[in-house]
Amino acid sequence: MATNMHMTLIDAPVGSRVRIRHLTSRPEISTRLRELGFCENAIVRCVMKGYGNIICEVHNTRVGLDSVLARGIHVSVSD
Amino acid sequence: MDRDGTPTPGAVRGSRTGLIALVGNPNSGKTTLFNALTGLRQRVGNYPGVTVERKEGRMRLGDTEAVILDLPGTYSLTPGSPDERIATEILLGKAPHTPLPDAVICVVDANHLERNLYLVSQVIEQNIPTVVALNMIDIARRHGMRIDIRALERELGVRVIPTVARKSEGVGELARAVLGGGSGRRASGVRLPEPVERETEELTTLLVRAHQFSLPRARSEAISLLSADGARLEETDHYAPGVLAHVRRDHEKLDFLGFDRRAVFVESRYAWVREVCAHAVTRPATEGMTRSDRLDAILTHRIWGVVIFIALMAIVFQAMFSWAQLPMNLIRSGFDELGTLVSSSMPAGDLRDLIVHGGIAGVAAVVAFLPQILFLFLFLGFLEDTGYMARAAFIMGKVMSRVGLHGKSFIPLLSSFACAIPGIMATRTIDNGRDRLATMLVAPLVSCSARLPVYALMIAAVIPPLSVMGIVSLPALTMLSMYLLGMVMALVMAWVFKKTLLKGGPPSFIIELPPYTIPSLRSTLMLMWERAWLFLKRAGTIILGASILLWFLASYPKLDGGTPAERLNHSFVGMAGRLVEPVIRPLGFDWKIGIGLLTSLIQREVFVSTMATIYDVGSDGTSGGLPEKLRAAHNPVTGAPEFTALTGICIMVYYVLAMQCFSTVAVMRRETNGWKWPLFQVAYMTALAYSVTFIVYRAGLAMGLGG
Repeated sequence: MATNMHMTLIDAPVGSRVRIRHLTSRPEISTRLRELGFCENAIVRCVMKGYGNIICEVHNTRVGLDSVLARGIHVSVSD
Repeated sequence: MDRDGTPTPGAVRGSRTGLIALVGNPNSGKTTLFNALTGLRQRVGNYPGVTVERKEGRMRLGDTEAVILDLPGTYSLTPGSPDERIATEILLGKAPHTPLPDAVICVVDANHLERNLYLVSQVIEQNIPTVVALNMIDIARRHGMRIDIRALERELGVRVIPTVARKSEGVGELARAVLGGGSGRRASGVRLPEPVERETEELTTLLVRAHQFSLPRARSEAISLLSADGARLEETDHYAPGVLAHVRRDHEKLDFLGFDRRAVFVESRYAWVREVCAHAVTRPATEGMTRSDRLDAILTHRIWGVVIFIALMAIVFQAMFSWAQLPMNLIRSGFDELGTLVSSSMPAGDLRDLIVHGGIAGVAAVVAFLPQILFLFLFLGFLEDTGYMARAAFIMGKVMSRVGLHGKSFIPLLSSFACAIPGIMATRTIDNGRDRLATMLVAPLVSCSARLPVYALMIAAVIPPLSVMGIVSLPALTMLSMYLLGMVMALVMAWVFKKTLLKGGPPSFIIELPPYTIPSLRSTLMLMWERAWLFLKRAGTIILGASILLWFLASYPKLDGGTPAERLNHSFVGMAGRLVEPVIRPLGFDWKIGIGLLTSLIQREVFVSTMATIYDVGSDGTSGGLPEKLRAAHNPVTGAPEFTALTGICIMVYYVLAMQCFSTVAVMRRETNGWKWPLFQVAYMTALAYSVTFIVYRAGLAMGLGG
């Protein structure tokens, strides 16, 4: 599959696997996201969306994020 | 000697009582392991942030003894919240009141090995002898995960002991490993890109020289300085000017070389983690939807999620009010029997009155609510243990952010249904100071279990047992309304505070959703037992004391002759009540209720025992329980009933909103480090309670409900 389709995590379809390209949130938030596993090159699976939030799985851990944070995570469709 | 030939003396063996730090991610089972190692009892939860207090316990193995310190759960040694700061400072040897631990047990959830190993890599670098407890290994195996322990030990360079803390499996071996000298220590294999490593080493050396830091602490601070952004560096004032100048040069150099300084350290760690897992872990390929996916699709669904959430809350209240009735009646009749027995076996006089009307009646009135409190904790424990609580926080995240609160604020607010004290303490997991303060200020508005006896008494006395639409009983609906009123007012006040005193941008929301698990009956029962014991202890000490004191104040000075009501009117209690009556009269409260409001400042439920004492002392031979006595009470002058439905509702509304709890004030003082915020909280809550109750009373009168 093509790897050049860029979007943010909030746009990732439910059930899809995406690869993190870069983070654009405030530095301290980006650091926290990275430490929770949302670091560059990590694979994220979008589990579901609702309530303006998203549930995704990274490093086999399920995490709920609000849409503002998810918009700061730039991803591309995983290989 | 450890397996690599590195000398690793027993961390604790043969020395003074050693200190072992227990560290791990939230939800890694750290608290359960702590209980298994020390035998101490502590609340075991399933959502981030349950461990907010310093917890210590003693562990023995033969002649060796060590103190185990259960550190707050943390994802990394780069602290975000006050909780994580405590853990980080202790492991870096920066905590003023705690020595550097002699050894560390790093608890790792085997199911989330990748994420958990991030912290392990940082802990290992602190050069403190470390043993990794690979916890929940049974669940990982059940999911088809295979972990090669020997390979993992080889990669990490420290002992790895598989454990199932819930069943105490592997706990003995873990104790032997950490106490008996099996703990290894070795620098982690995290490899930074060459130029980054060079600058990190140089800065580490400089920090050791300039500030006499230990090598591990210097390296950890070097990494945090190199990844800091420029603005934050300008705010730092505890480094020598030469160090800061060096850091600025490093920033320029690494930026010029094209490194993302904020990402490179984390990324290198995760690269190492991936390498470790590639050698030691095999996961089964997952296809399609997992069981958790299917559950999440329903429980966090945008419509069904809310419906299920509201239905669950309704069941909790219905259970507390309907199912708890039978045991409550049994307790009441048991105490009645006791009172009759004592009355018949003792000669009449002051001592008999003191025991029967002061002691037994006061304590009985409060202890009768034990079953409801047990039901509340049964449900709270069950919701936590299944993993649903975090989903509820996720569902409520949007609502929370609408009023400017953090999604994580939901957990402290939910904990406040049990008691505002753990609720306020659970706010430590909120990173942002303003969001945390806003949550603390409104947490006591959520109806705690101490209000339950007050609501239950009032409802039993004045709300008829009708059913609404043939499904829900009116008493249960009234109870639910009181809980909703508290929650809604908490949200409204949070919105007000975030718009005025604590202005700030909308907070961001990240929450870990633990896997769904079948709840442990043992841990839920343990929680219920702890709460029941705490409640009974209070009933046996403070409430008994208050009841006896009240009996005295309600019986003296003695009036010879006259009706019981006249005698009460003549007593100290009567005098105090008349003193406050003008202030509370506009709320529809008489002097007897005034006494209850004053005495329940000790604890809210004392209101019930106060009423029991006052009405037992003042009764004129009416038989039945306290609710019946309240219902039967009439003003001796006007002949009007003392407790109408409106009076009962006003009392409940007042208790929903008023800060009637010294213990909460004390905890607020401790958590905010001063008197400013606790006093503000008392003032705003009292003003709110008074004005809302006044409005309800006036509106009720206007609608003709006062009769």
